[in-house]
Amino acid sequence: MDKNVPQGVKLGSKDKHKEAAVDLVRSAMKSGVIDSALLPMEVPSGDSYAWMLIKDEAFLAKAEPFAPTMPVNAANAVKRLTRKGTGKYKTAVLIRPCEVRAAVELVKLNQAHLDDLLLITYDCVGAVPTDDYIKDPAGKNKAFKTALVSGNFNSGIMKEVCSFCTDFSRTSSDLHLSLTDDGIFLSSNNVKGDDFLKNMKLEAKADLSKWYEKIESISSVRKNKKVQIFEKIKKDVDGLINFHKIFENCIGCHSCGSVCPICYCRQCFFDSTVNEQNSDLKFIRARQKGVLSFPPDKLMFHIGRLSHMSLSCVSCGLCSDACPVDIPVASVFSYVADQTQSAFDYKSGNSVGDALPMRDYKLEELGELGELSKSVDRQEGADA
Amino acid sequence: MGLKSRAVMVAGAGIAGIQAALDLAEMGIKVHLVEESPSIGGRMPQLDKTFPTNDCSMCILSPKMSESVRHPNIKIYTTTTIDSVSGIPGDFTAKIVERAKYIDQEKCVSCGLCEEKCPVKVDDIFDMKLRKRGAVSRYFLQSIPSEYTIDPHNCLYLNKGVCRLCEKVCPAGAINFDDKDKIFEINVGAIILSGGIDSYDPIHLGNFGYRRYKNVVTSLEFERMLSASGPLGGHVVRPGDHKEPKSLAFIQCVGSRDENINHNYCSSACCMFAIKEAMIAKEHIKDLESTVFYMDIRAFGKDFDKYYEKSKDKYGVEYIKSKVSDISEDDDGNLILKYVYENGDISHKQFDMAVLAVGLQPRKSIVNLSKSLNFKLNEFGFCRSDTNLPLATTREGIFVCGAMNGPKDIPESVTAASGAAAETLKFLRLERQDISAEKDAVQEKDVAGDRPRIGAFVCHCGINIAGVVDVKDVAEHARHLPNVEYAEDLIYACSQDCMNTIKERIKEYDLNRIVVAACTPRTHEPLFRETITEAGLNPYLFEMANIRDQCSWAHMNEPWLATVKSKDLMSMGVAKARELKPLKRLPIEINPKAMVIGGGLAGMTTAISLAEAGHEVYLIEKENELGGNLRNIFFDFDSDPQVLLADTISKAESNELIHIYKNAIIKKIDGFVGNFSTTVTGNNKNEEISFDHGVVIIATGADEHVTEEYLYGRSDRIVSQVELEDILKTRKFPGTRKPKNVVMIQCVGSREEGKMYCSRVCCTKAVKNAGVLKNILPNVNIYIIYRDIRTYGFREKHYSELRDKGAMFIHYTPENKPIVELVNEKDTDSQVKVTVFDPIVNKNIEIQADMLVLATAIDAKKENIDLVKMLKVSLNTDGMFLEAHVKLRPVDFATDGIFVAGLAHCPKDCDESITQAKAAASRALTFLNKKAILAEGTICEVNDSRCTGCGYCVHICAYNAIELDPEKGTARVNDALCKGCGACVASCRCGALDLRGFTNGQMFGVFDSLEMTNVIDE
Repeated sequence: MDKNVPQGVKLGSKDKHKEAAVDLVRSAMKSGVIDSALLPMEVPSGDSYAWMLIKDEAFLAKAEPFAPTMPVNAANAVKRLTRKGTGKYKTAVLIRPCEVRAAVELVKLNQAHLDDLLLITYDCVGAVPTDDYIKDPAGKNKAFKTALVSGNFNSGIMKEVCSFCTDFSRTSSDLHLSLTDDGIFLSSNNVKGDDFLKNMKLEAKADLSKWYEKIESISSVRKNKKVQIFEKIKKDVDGLINFHKIFENCIGCHSCGSVCPICYCRQCFFDSTVNEQNSDLKFIRARQKGVLSFPPDKLMFHIGRLSHMSLSCVSCGLCSDACPVDIPVASVFSYVADQTQSAFDYKSGNSVGDALPMRDYKLEELGELGELSKSVDRQEGADA
Repeated sequence: MGLKSRAVMVAGAGIAGIQAALDLAEMGIKVHLVEESPSIGGRMPQLDKTFPTNDCSMCILSPKMSESVRHPNIKIYTTTTIDSVSGIPGDFTAKIVERAKYIDQEKCVSCGLCEEKCPVKVDDIFDMKLRKRGAVSRYFLQSIPSEYTIDPHNCLYLNKGVCRLCEKVCPAGAINFDDKDKIFEINVGAIILSGGIDSYDPIHLGNFGYRRYKNVVTSLEFERMLSASGPLGGHVVRPGDHKEPKSLAFIQCVGSRDENINHNYCSSACCMFAIKEAMIAKEHIKDLESTVFYMDIRAFGKDFDKYYEKSKDKYGVEYIKSKVSDISEDDDGNLILKYVYENGDISHKQFDMAVLAVGLQPRKSIVNLSKSLNFKLNEFGFCRSDTNLPLATTREGIFVCGAMNGPKDIPESVTAASGAAAETLKFLRLERQDISAEKDAVQEKDVAGDRPRIGAFVCHCGINIAGVVDVKDVAEHARHLPNVEYAEDLIYACSQDCMNTIKERIKEYDLNRIVVAACTPRTHEPLFRETITEAGLNPYLFEMANIRDQCSWAHMNEPWLATVKSKDLMSMGVAKARELKPLKRLPIEINPKAMVIGGGLAGMTTAISLAEAGHEVYLIEKENELGGNLRNIFFDFDSDPQVLLADTISKAESNELIHIYKNAIIKKIDGFVGNFSTTVTGNNKNEEISFDHGVVIIATGADEHVTEEYLYGRSDRIVSQVELEDILKTRKFPGTRKPKNVVMIQCVGSREEGKMYCSRVCCTKAVKNAGVLKNILPNVNIYIIYRDIRTYGFREKHYSELRDKGAMFIHYTPENKPIVELVNEKDTDSQVKVTVFDPIVNKNIEIQADMLVLATAIDAKKENIDLVKMLKVSLNTDGMFLEAHVKLRPVDFATDGIFVAGLAHCPKDCDESITQAKAAASRALTFLNKKAILAEGTICEVNDSRCTGCGYCVHICAYNAIELDPEKGTARVNDALCKGCGACVASCRCGALDLRGFTNGQMFGVFDSLEMTNVIDE
C-alpha cells in the first residue's frame, strides 16, 4: 500500500458531516483535550459567515463547520488569535486546505503560531463566491451541501480558482476529515494529530485507499486543467500592456490586499505617505508621458503586492471575491504565484520547515563566487 | 626612554603602512606617513585581482587610502625620504626630505591639461613601462594625493631650460619651477618601517629570454595587462604582435629558491599569484590554455588550497612539476619551453606567451636606509627581525611590517602592520580619546520646519567636466527646479576660493540644503560636508551629483547626452536634497576592558599587549594552565620555544591588569561593541563570575588531528610530528636500538576532500625535526614523503640545508599514497615497512623504517561552534573562524568589537601567531582607546507602528544589528552595530524600516524627478 495512504476512524455517515464534526469538537472540549473551537457561524442576517472562537458548548450547535462561502480566510483569524505567541489554551480549527496553507506561510513570517491550535482540514469542494452567496443564500447553501455530500468537485458554483485547485484535500494540517461514500473518516497527519487521536481514544484503522485514489485522480485532472487555464491567463496578462489592461478598471480601493491572508503589513505601503511628493514632480511625470492618471501608482500597487506575496500565495481567491469591479485578481495572482514559486522550487504552505526563498541562500546566489562558477559553466557549455 | 611623544612615523605607505597609520590614528596617535613615490598605495594599486577571493585590488584598497588621507591624525608626505633619525626611543627626531614637486599642491586641481601638453614621453613605471606618460604626471588614476608632480629627471625645462608648456596651459597657475626640496624635522616616539619590496629583475637570468623575446613578461607586467584600468584595458594581447594569446606558460620561482643569486628563500606569494593570473586570464580569453611550471605549489594560506584545486577542476589550469631550463623563440614570436621533469626527462612545449613569476627581493634603498637609521639586515638583505619579536628591528623603538623583513602576502602584511602599531605603544603617551569634545564647532542652524531652500553648484573641474558637459546649461537647469533658491557654476568647486563662495551663498540666500554636481562623493563628499558645517548647516543636508565619473568621463564622446544626463542627475540631487533632514551621530560608550578567550601563545600575547597599553584584560583559559599548544613544542631553528612560553606566561601572570581565569567555561556573552557582559564559571564550577568589557578577542587555538591512517596508534614506532618533538627532547627512541631509518609522511589529514586546506606548519616542522634528529644521530637516514614542500619565506634555507645533509625527499600524490605495514604486528619492537612510488626512479621502493613520523593536520576546534552562537560570528567551511575580509581585515569580524588571533583563525607558526595576536590587540585598541565611538548618522530606524515583526530584516542583516523586541514584537536596530547598508530596508515589505539619509521618501523623490527616462508606470 502507498505509504501516503492514511488510515482513518469513522465519525459518522456522509450526510451527517456537520453533526460528526461538531460532535468531535464537543467531545474533545468535554474531555479537556481542547479548550475551545474556532469555527464559522452564520451571521444574523443569514447571508454570510463569520469566524467565532467558541468557548461555551451551547454555541457549537449554531456553528457551521463546512461553511459554503469564505468571506474571511481562516488564516487571518488564526493570525489575530496567535500573533503574539503561544498561550495556555488549546483551540481546534476546522479549516479549508488553502486556509491552512496560508496559516503555514504566516508562521514562517512570524505572524502566527500554531502550537496552541489543532488544525483540521476536510475535502474541500470549493467555496461559493461571496457575491453569489449574498444574492441567494438558501439556494447556494443547498447547492453547496449537495456538492459536498455527493463529492462533486465540479459543481460549477464555486470560485474560479477553486476549479483548478490541486491542494483541495489532505495538506499541512494536523488532522483531516475524508468525506467518502462510506462515511466521514478522521485521520492524523502528524504527531500532534496522533496525540489527539490517542487522547480521544480513537483508533484510526480504516483503510482509506479508495478515497485516496479518488483524490489523486481528481488532483491529476485538475493539474492538467490548471496548465490549460494558465496558458489562457498567460495570453491575457503577459507583458506590461496586457497587465495594464487587466487592471485598468481598478478603483484603487486596495480591498484585495485587505482580505489577503498573506498581506500582513499593518498598513500597506501604498496607503502610506512615503511616496507622496511635491505636485511639481507629478507635473514632471505628466510631461514625460503627456498624461498621468490619478490617484497614481494604481498598477504599482498590484505589482508591489505580487512581489511581496506571490511566493506565499495559496490561491484562496479572496481577492477576486473582494474586488468591487470584478477584476479576476485571483486567477492572475495564482498564475504569477505559480511562476515565481516554481522559479525558486518552492511551494507555499507545504511545511513550516521550508525556508522562505527570499530568506534562504544558495551557494550559486552568492555574488562573485557564484558568478565565477557560472561563467565557467557557461564557457564549458559553449565549448560543448 | 624619552619623553614619550604622541606621534609615530610610518615610513612607506603601501597597504602595510596605511594600515599601521590608520590603527594608530584611530588610537589617537599622530601619524607622519612618509612615502617615497608620489602617491600612497604601494603595490596593491598595480594589481588587478587578489587571491583567493578575486576581489578587485583597487576597489578594496581605495577606501583605506581615502580614509588615511582624510584622517585628522594622519599627515601624509609623498615624494619624501628619510634622511636620518636621532634621539632615543620615545623621543626620536626624524629628518625627512620632501623632493620638490614643482607643482603647488594646494593650487593643482588635477585637471590633467599639463600632461596632455607635455612634449616629453617617458615609460610609465606604474604601468610597468607598458604605457608612456609625460614628464609631468599623476602617478596613477586613483592616486592619493591626486595632484600632479613634475619628474625632474625628464622635464625639458628643468634639464635643458626650455619648454614651460605646462605653465602656459595650467588653468590654476599651479606650476612652480622654483620649488625646492623641503626638509622637515619631526618628533616621534617610535618608527614603523613599511617600505615594501621590489620584484626580481629577470634580465639577469638569460635563459628565459626576458626583454630579448617580447612575449616573455613578468607576472607584474601581466597583472597590468589583465587590469581593466591598465594600459591594455584588460584585453590581453601578446606584446610582440598584439594578437590574443591562446596558450600561456607560467614559470615559477624566477629569482626565488635560487642559491646561485643569493635568493635561497621562497617569495611566498608567487604561487598564488600565478594561480590567480592563470585563472583570471582564462576568464579574459576564451579557450586559453594556462600551464604552470612549478617545483612545489605553495598554497599554504587560509583557503588557498581550495583556490588551487578550483583552478584545476573548474578552470582547467594545467600544472607540470618540472624545472624550465630554457626558452627559445621561433620566427612567429612563439616560445618553445624546454623543461626537465623530476626524473631527469626533458620535454619541450610551445606557448604563445610566457609569464615569469618573479620573486620578491629587498629594495635597493634598504641598504642605505639601514645605515642611516642604524638597523641590521639579514643574510638575504631584508630587514632583520627575530622569531619571537617578529615586528622589531635591531634598533629599539623602530619596528618593521609588511614585506620589508621577509616576503609576505597582503593579509600577512596587514596583520603585521596592525601588530607593529601595537608594538610602538610602549614608547608613546596614550590617552583615551574623548570624542564628544568638538573643537570650535559652529553653532548648527535649526532648519526643522523651514521650507527647503536649495543651493545648487555645478563644478567645471577645469575641463575635466566642462570639456564635455555644458555646465552653464546644467546650472541654468538647476535654477528652475522647485525649491532651488540659487544656482551657480564654479571652476573648481573644491578649491578654497569656491568653498568660501559656497559658504557666503549659504548666508546670502539663507540656503538650508546644498547640492554640488561635481566629481564623485567617494573622494569629495566629506570635504563639502565639512564646508557646509562651517557655514552652520548639519553635514547631512548635503547631496552630491556625480557628473564627472558618470557623465563627462563615461560619455566623453557624446557631449550632448552627457549634458542631458548631468541635468537628470542634478534634478535627482535636488529632489533628494528637498527631503534631506539633519542627522546626528550618537555616541556609544566604550568599556575600556577586554576579554581574551584562550590562554595559549596568541591569547597571552594579546592580553599582554592590551595590558601594557593600560587596559584591564580578562584572560579565559579552559585548561588548568596557560600555554596551549606551545607546551608541546620544544625545538625551533634559532630559538627555544619553551623559553618563549615561560617568558610569556610570566609576563601574563605578573601583570596586575590581567585577570586570569583557568579551568574557566564561558556560560554567556551578551551585548555589543563597547558594552559586552560575560559570565564564566571558574575553578569552583558552582561559582559564576560576571564582568563587563568593551571588546572580545577569540584566541581559542586549534587541535592536532588524530589520524587513523598509516597504522597510527598500532605501534610505538609510528608517531606524529608533535610526539616526535617529545622523543627528541627526552631522546627516548622507541625500540631498543637507535633508529637508522626514519620516514616522515606529510599532509596526513590535510589537503584532502572535505579538509581542503594546508596545515602550513608541518613541512617546516618536518624539516626542523629532521634537522634536530640529524644533529642527535648524524648517521640516521631520513626520508620525507611529501606532496609539495611548503617551506615558505626564509624557511626555504633550512629545507635546502637538510637536503645538503642528505635527507631524501620523495614526492607522492594523493592518488598514490605510501603504504605502511608492520613487519610483525605483535612485536612492537619490529620495524615499519613503508612502500612508496618514487617518481625519480619511476618505481615503488620499500623502506624498512625504525620510525614513521606523521605530519598530522591542524584541526579546527569543535567547540568553536559554541562561541559562534554566543557572539554571532561565522566559521569557514573548515570550522575556522571567518574574518571580516580575508585580505584587508584579517583579524576583525564583520561584527564590531570582536577580533581573532592565532590558530583559531587558521594554521600558523609561532611568529605568525605572535604577530596576529599583537594585531588583534591593535585593532581592539582602536575601540578601547576611545571613551565613546560615534554611531553613523546614516543608519536604519524602525517605525514601530508599521512593523509586523516578521523577522526578515533580522535574517538579512549581515552585522547582527537587528533583533526582535520580545515585548513589542517589533524589530529593533542597534545603533552601534548598524552600518547603514540598507539591506534590511529592501527586505522590509511593510515599509517599516528606513535608512536615514536614504529614506524611501527621498529615493522615490529621486526616481520621480528622473525626466528623460521613459518609465511606463501607469
